[in-house]
Amino acid sequence: MAPSCCQVRVGPDLNGAAEVGSDRWDGRAMPASQVDEFQVIGKRVAKLDAPAKVTGRTVYADDLSMAGLLEGAILRSPHAHARIRSIDVSAAEQLPGVRAVIYAGNVTQRPFGYSHDNLPLKRDKVRFIGDEVAAVAAIDEETAKAALSMIKVDYEVLPAVFDPFEALEETAPVIHDERPDIVGNLSMRWDYDAGDVDEAATRAAVVVEGDYSSPQAAPVPIETHVIVASFDPDGHLTVWSPVHMVFMYRKELADCLGLDWRHITVIQPSVGGSFGGKIDIDSHDFITVLLARHSGRPVRLALSREEEFTGTRTRQPIHFHLRTGADAEGNLLFRDAEVVSDNGAYNAWGSHAMLVAMNTVTSMYRVPNSRVRCSVAYTNKNYGGSVRGFGNPQATFAVEQQMEELADALGMDPMDLRLRNANQSGDVTPQGLEITSCGLSDCLRIVREQSGWDQRRGTMRGRHRGLGAAAFIHVGGGARIYASDGCGAVVKVDDSGEVTLITGASELGQGSETVLAMIVAEEMGIPIDSVRVVNSNTDVKPWDVGVHASRTTFVAGNAARMAAAAARDKLLETASELLETPAGELRVRDGVVEVAADPSRRIELGRVARRRLLREGGGVVMATAFYDPPTHNQDKDYRGNISAAYGFGAHVAEVEVDPGTGMVRLINLWTAHDVGRAINPMSCEGQIEGGAAMGIGLALSEELVIFDGEIVAPNLHDYGMPTAVDVPRTVVNLVETVDPLGPFGAKGVGEAALIPVPAAVANAVADATGVRPREYPMRPWKVKAWIDAGESSHASRRAAEPADKGGGDNG
Amino acid sequence: MAEVFAAGSIEEVVAFLAGHRGVSLPIAGGTDVMVDKRNGRVHPEWLVDLTSLEALAGIEFREGGKVVRIGSMTRIRSLELDPVLGRRAAALVEAARLLGSVQIRTMATVGGNLCHGTPSAEMPPPLLVHDADCEVAGPSGRRVMPLVDLFAGPGRTVLEPDELLVALELRLPDSGVGSCYLRQTVRWSMDLAGVGVAAAVEVDGSTVTKARVALGAVAPVPLLVAEAANALVGTELDAGAAAEAGRRAAAACSPITDARGTESYRRQVVAVLVERAARIAWLRATGSWPAGVPAPANGVLPSEVR
Ligand SMILES: Cc1cc2nc3c(=O)[nH]c(=O)nc-3n(C[C@H](O)[C@H](O)[C@H](O)COP(=O)(O)OP(=O)(O)OC[C@H]3O[C@@H](n4cnc5c(N)ncnc54)[C@H](O)[C@@H]3O)c2cc1C
Repeated sequence: MAPSCCQVRVGPDLNGAAEVGSDRWDGRAMPASQVDEFQVIGKRVAKLDAPAKVTGRTVYADDLSMAGLLEGAILRSPHAHARIRSIDVSAAEQLPGVRAVIYAGNVTQRPFGYSHDNLPLKRDKVRFIGDEVAAVAAIDEETAKAALSMIKVDYEVLPAVFDPFEALEETAPVIHDERPDIVGNLSMRWDYDAGDVDEAATRAAVVVEGDYSSPQAAPVPIETHVIVASFDPDGHLTVWSPVHMVFMYRKELADCLGLDWRHITVIQPSVGGSFGGKIDIDSHDFITVLLARHSGRPVRLALSREEEFTGTRTRQPIHFHLRTGADAEGNLLFRDAEVVSDNGAYNAWGSHAMLVAMNTVTSMYRVPNSRVRCSVAYTNKNYGGSVRGFGNPQATFAVEQQMEELADALGMDPMDLRLRNANQSGDVTPQGLEITSCGLSDCLRIVREQSGWDQRRGTMRGRHRGLGAAAFIHVGGGARIYASDGCGAVVKVDDSGEVTLITGASELGQGSETVLAMIVAEEMGIPIDSVRVVNSNTDVKPWDVGVHASRTTFVAGNAARMAAAAARDKLLETASELLETPAGELRVRDGVVEVAADPSRRIELGRVARRRLLREGGGVVMATAFYDPPTHNQDKDYRGNISAAYGFGAHVAEVEVDPGTGMVRLINLWTAHDVGRAINPMSCEGQIEGGAAMGIGLALSEELVIFDGEIVAPNLHDYGMPTAVDVPRTVVNLVETVDPLGPFGAKGVGEAALIPVPAAVANAVADATGVRPREYPMRPWKVKAWIDAGESSHASRRAAEPADKGGGDNG
Repeated sequence: MAEVFAAGSIEEVVAFLAGHRGVSLPIAGGTDVMVDKRNGRVHPEWLVDLTSLEALAGIEFREGGKVVRIGSMTRIRSLELDPVLGRRAAALVEAARLLGSVQIRTMATVGGNLCHGTPSAEMPPPLLVHDADCEVAGPSGRRVMPLVDLFAGPGRTVLEPDELLVALELRLPDSGVGSCYLRQTVRWSMDLAGVGVAAAVEVDGSTVTKARVALGAVAPVPLLVAEAANALVGTELDAGAAAEAGRRAAAACSPITDARGTESYRRQVVAVLVERAARIAWLRATGSWPAGVPAPANGVLPSEVR
């Protein structure tokens, strides 16, 4: 599996001057000139957007104002499953102040979503409580809400199904009966085989087997979805939406609504958090555009907190029945997973969470044989999206608990078992993942040492205390799920000497602007505050897949670095003339070009740019680059190296469990992450601390409690995000393996830290109590019931083999 | 939208409420009212602002400190930070510390907490075990009643729409008394109690002479459970007596199953927390608990300290 080459192009100079740099890329040969003495890389640089955010100057979509702006509101289904007999909007249309009332009967729309199984405004059926049925644009919010209450919808309520196992039975109500190509409620099937699991099982000295389940959870950004859409008189549409994937958004908007995508501009305003909830287009985006079109006025749609919970995409519950086997020495022989993913009413990208979950089953540690049988079920609930971690926390909860169960069964220390089987640089996993930089063993050793693992694990049960560990593997060098996994970058230097990076990547609050500016500053030899980042407008910025899969630092970072290097070389070319010294003998520091051998001969970069520009036959300094990592789309058997680098890490959690109430207190969390290189250690720590807090919420408290398809308490209070009091001191260790392909050696870290937390906490609870958690969140009454019963009562649930392997394709 | 009425005296406010029955609602800190308004649970045309009523404010010790009068507009944060209450009504301060966040506690009042009638509210159990009376003002004057009689059901009190809770009065024996408030929650802060319990004991020598046990969140109204308290009286509050009080409290309550716990779980937790709260109250009454140090919410000390 050699990496494919030539994925990268350094574009021609935009002003038509001679091309600089190489248009061939061997995937490795980043100029290493400055690697040993960084000016900016590795420094604790405060986020560039922080001052504006903390002083309230940041402009979010909800802060936009424009003449004639209307407020939109959505009428949502009160039923989990119902046929729409008729919709009568006449009374709502008559209400003074109403400018548009739309429903399936008066708009043009086509199915959207991964399986094209969704309509922005439902026509024949609604499939979950919160499904969009109609919408209003009015002069203010009160009028819009009043109009919604005047829309009459006649529903024929249908039997609904909420449990994915029941949904897969033949007798279940069929949710997408309009689609003969979908068999029952099986929306997708993922089958994977490597080696021979059954044969390996005959050789295993120890086999552990169990069930592991996760809840429906929400990304809970503090800014809810807010979208503004406006058509200009010529019909050109501008949409402001806090979406991560602006280019796909534009395409899907055009496809669904029959618009010409050449006449759509997508602007991403500042994003008040996403965590994956805002990754791609959703019904409310289409609806805002339809309202603008029908009213002839700009429209804003701002979801309420309740709608954010009930009407947007969630983290899908995934049920694992897992077996792991090892020989007597503790060498892993096989993993065997039967999986049911409860993906809700429609297939967005969330139906692909198994893509990532599968990597963990097949490739976390060295496992020669593995088998995955996964059914993705439609149920009458909010549907799965691409929430941070994307299937991996769920899989790691199963895989990493089983590592400790296996170790206990073997009479081995779980850390020894992990180290014995740890992935190493140079491995190619049976699924085809090419492990290049890999600090897994170091991460395990660090948290083992810091937590006092060898002295303390298994010794504190009398005090109801326990230690538990979990490690993870996650894509860290992009994830090729689309034909391209690339990102474009433009670096320009005008007469002021200010450097502007125009990047395809988006800022969501994760700090990409800052990291990309640091990369450009380092590469060009300029201070960080002379770099401006432009990243929000599809009219301006070069193409990018979008923010997902922890790919931005790696992919956009490489693109930015290449463009910066090319721009620097142009400046050096001119400086070489001015200083009458070959370019190879010059260096740039702090914005000044100097002769390496005689630094008194120097010229400030801005002057170089001016001298290049302001002359006859001059030119601007502008360079473009496009970086697409050397990876492959997986084949029909799910084999192929989808990422150019993999992130690894390990956590140890320490808990104290109150057997009287079942309340779990997290006392300590030690983390070690292989980030390749910490471009900005402060940002890395922030991502890890924040990710860990999100993982703690998953582990202990966060859940959308659903009765009969209804989210019973769609509010921040009941949902159970952790507070500062629930989050212990998180020890962060950054392990720098200097990835061969990453920009300055960096790998992705955005999703990493939450992934192992539920598993580590569960292992710690098991150590403290002797009872193994089979599901999260470990809310107190569950923990109490497990302790009192002496075991987790979670019943073994296994997926039936589908009658027919048909039903949704697997892309 | 609602209009706001503000006045300087209790009588004026009561008169206004009487003149606008059904369309007016007192607002103290607003931390319940504003949430209820947004959720459509109340639709007042008038909000009657109590913040300017001096007569409702303040913590006042009387009779040489044996009695404390707590105005209904006293902010939860003021209770939390009161050093005397911290020593002599530990349960009340413990409950105050657990309510919401600092921001919420700075707005929220004790009167609002009681008058909202939330079964899981933090203030009723500690006030009940400290034998609080409440003073009520209405169009026909003032009346005083035991706090336990205030509660009428989930979200309801016996107050008429034109009545105001003026103050609470607690007796504070100056020695040999200890109390404790504990609760079970999903998170460790910013959460409503799944179970809340308070216990108070008065001790003479080494014998419990008086006891009270109160429960929140496990019945339509906060409960005072005399049977549980009786299990403590006359004992030296040994483990057996504490466990018996817990069992009796569990038998006396009537919890429900909802998204925050099952009925049987809540009963079990009542037993556990009553047992622990009684023990901690005893430690305080006998001077064996460091003064002014609150107990962890579930009554379990981190194992290093134990
Ligand atoms: C984020 C958050 C967290 C919270 N956490 C907790 C918690 O942990 N524990 C807890 O118990 N509560 C909690 N609450 C609820 C609330 O803060 C408390 O109940 C608070 O004590 C209410 O006091 P207030 O002054 O804000 O009441 P208001 O909202 O002003 O009033 C509440 C009710 O009492 C009536 N009222 C107020 N004063 C009087 C009076 N003097 N006479 C007659 N009627 C009166 C009002 O008309 C209204 O019906 C929380 C609330 C929020 C928003």
